[in-house]
Amino acid sequence: MAVPVTAPAEPVRKVSARHFVRLKLRVLGNNFRGQGWRIALFVVGLLFGLWFAVGGFFLLAAPGLAGEPRYALMIAAFGGGLLMLGWLLLPLAFFGVDETLDPARFALLPLSRRALVTGLFAAALVSVPVLATLIAVAGLVVTAGALGGWLAALVGLVGVLAGLLLCVAAARAVTSAFATMLRSRRVRDLAAVLLAVLAALLGPLQIAVLAAVRRADWDQLTGAARIVGWTPFGAPWTAGIDVAEGRAWAAGLKLLITALAVGALLLWWSRSLESAMVGAVSAGPSRDRRGALGGAVAQLFPRAVGWSRRDRFGALVARECRYWWRDARRRANLITIAVVGIFVPVMVNVGGARLAVEGGEAFGEVTANSSPVLVSLSLVFVGVLASVTVANQFGFDGSAYAANVVAGVPGRLELRARMTAFAIYVVPLLVAVAVILAALLRHPGWLGVMAGALFAAYGSGLAINGFVSVLGAYALPETSNPFAMNTGAGVAKSLLTLLSMIASAAAAVPMVVAAALLGDLWLWLALPVGLAYGVGAALLGSYLAGDVLDRRQPELLAAVTPRR
Amino acid sequence: MSDQHPALSLRGLAKRFDTKVAVAGVDLDVPAGSFYGLLGPNGAGKTTTLSMAVGLLRPDAGQARVLGYDVWADPVRAKGLLGVMPDGVRLFDRLSGAELLAYHGLLRGMDPAVVDQRAAELLDVLALNDAGRTLVVDYSAGMKKKIGLACALLHGPRLLVLDEPFEAVDPVSAALIRDILHRYVTGGGTVVFSSHVMETVERLCSHVAILADGRIKRVGTLDQVRGDRSLEEVFVAVVGGRTATGEELSWLSR
Repeated sequence: MAVPVTAPAEPVRKVSARHFVRLKLRVLGNNFRGQGWRIALFVVGLLFGLWFAVGGFFLLAAPGLAGEPRYALMIAAFGGGLLMLGWLLLPLAFFGVDETLDPARFALLPLSRRALVTGLFAAALVSVPVLATLIAVAGLVVTAGALGGWLAALVGLVGVLAGLLLCVAAARAVTSAFATMLRSRRVRDLAAVLLAVLAALLGPLQIAVLAAVRRADWDQLTGAARIVGWTPFGAPWTAGIDVAEGRAWAAGLKLLITALAVGALLLWWSRSLESAMVGAVSAGPSRDRRGALGGAVAQLFPRAVGWSRRDRFGALVARECRYWWRDARRRANLITIAVVGIFVPVMVNVGGARLAVEGGEAFGEVTANSSPVLVSLSLVFVGVLASVTVANQFGFDGSAYAANVVAGVPGRLELRARMTAFAIYVVPLLVAVAVILAALLRHPGWLGVMAGALFAAYGSGLAINGFVSVLGAYALPETSNPFAMNTGAGVAKSLLTLLSMIASAAAAVPMVVAAALLGDLWLWLALPVGLAYGVGAALLGSYLAGDVLDRRQPELLAAVTPRR
Repeated sequence: MSDQHPALSLRGLAKRFDTKVAVAGVDLDVPAGSFYGLLGPNGAGKTTTLSMAVGLLRPDAGQARVLGYDVWADPVRAKGLLGVMPDGVRLFDRLSGAELLAYHGLLRGMDPAVVDQRAAELLDVLALNDAGRTLVVDYSAGMKKKIGLACALLHGPRLLVLDEPFEAVDPVSAALIRDILHRYVTGGGTVVFSSHVMETVERLCSHVAILADGRIKRVGTLDQVRGDRSLEEVFVAVVGGRTATGEELSWLSR
């Protein structure tokens, strides 16, 4: 029978979350097909996840297993709260979110927003981190059950499941909103400043919290745990304990709080999803349409690269410089370097010293006093972290790298230019880190040691990552979400990052050893030696890795081209 | 001199992806000064063949020579004579049009003054000046094709290899691109391009090759290949398409 084409037929079956979950599993499965190393990486990721999960489980189950009701509330509130905080912040800072199911792909399908959000949400629940978290928080159910019987365990289970939903919803909503924000140029500067302020606050905040913990007595801590328990951060985790302690009404209220929070986050997510689906371009303010300023060549070179000759090297440096700023993905990495680069050394040095002064022995003798060795060590970490950003520098380019292959750019030139461009952003940042830290520690004399360690670590890191970027490149998805990653790439990325970080740190170890052995002499020698060490390592790295690059340009291009 | 050599010469090019043979031994000679159309249905191996011919994809077997220089053994000389516009490959699209042209020009080792002059001319002719400092990522599909063509032309190559240059291009831009390519061939250049639009190929090309299932099925001048039939008839016959009988898809008609 003929059906009029103008009236769409009523769908025979409704699209439910089940379809999304199955789609995700299918995509995951197809990803593994014929790719042994991907399966291996997935298994490694799974094992890591399980390891953390089991550790978390016993920590959270400890009050119940040991029969210590006094600790139950505190561990549930603080442990669960930290877990939630991790879900909220870690995807933003480091790991990105799994965009196996890219929302944009669903734009053309006749799906209601509600069906889409619930579907994507259900699909997001199918992942290793969720499984690991589930295992860990099952410890809370054990605690509630051991202390309050089966009813408490049941409420605890409901609470824990709701808490898991809340974790995932929070991670999704925040990254999605942030991605939308970062696309617009006006906001991204603001975001950078905000993140920097947040980082600057985290250090002192942690010191204050630790000091408070140290001074506070039992009642104050329990009071804090109670307060946390009434916020969405702690509510789902403490519900079971409340039943166990005879406050069933509180458990009900807390579950309600959790449900409301999940609902609000999903609503927020669905808003930003819509803007992600209709395309990012319209979200940003249109660029000014001034006429050409000078010739094409003059337009290509940013002012910071004005010194360079107008040749191949100059063009590569200029293009890379433009990209570090204009590509949201790269910009997000720069922000991470800035935040962590200031945060970590301040934590290790100022925080450690302050705690030691206040009489704490808990953190051991190592951090008891900030010393040139400790400072060097923490700054080696910063330098290495900064250089690891370029471990997949060709992946940022994607298939656009074909232009360089067609033009036959020599590998050494390519790598030197990329290092130079990245250094134009990072070196001022490293100098700032050294100056800020020297000021905070009130040791201006250590400035040389700090800068020397930073430059040595950064330079040798660039050399190592030159190799990694040529040999271990992988494709990034072509979305405008700076936090997006391909399925399975998460583990690959972490492993590769870890390996290159260890190698880079090992290459910079001489700086730390020298700081330990040479004493005051090193205060003067560190800067020139570190600078020479870093520059030399980077040049040597580009020289050797450039040869490798020459031999495998087409293979590299294939590796960074996203499969469609 | 390189004039005795064909502009592009492929010998036994082959490529297999996992278990699928994408290109199974392609031999092709593109005479200098010709306008060469590489025809084929989707998935015939056009893009794979052209990628191997210009040095973007390493072949499993076979040779590719540009005006006598081996693309894989002597890439510097061969690539210097080549202008390429790949399909399905992004440009460095977070640059503006002018910036992108300057990048390509300098990457080819050109003099900055010449780059400036040619870039201005190309942007003018291709009607991309209005875009000003708009990033290429925000260009329309037709504008992207045009700026890609400009990048390939900038250094004055002797051989131009274009993958689907007319795909997703509006008629006005297509006419402009056709015009520029015509002038380029008249001036002694050689163009190889892939397409599955018969009309364009019939209108432009002096030579045609039909590629299907990774093999060359027909090759020669346009008249040799089509004989007394239309190119479309020849193409469908060679590729072996099926025609609808009218029984299936009956629900499409009301």
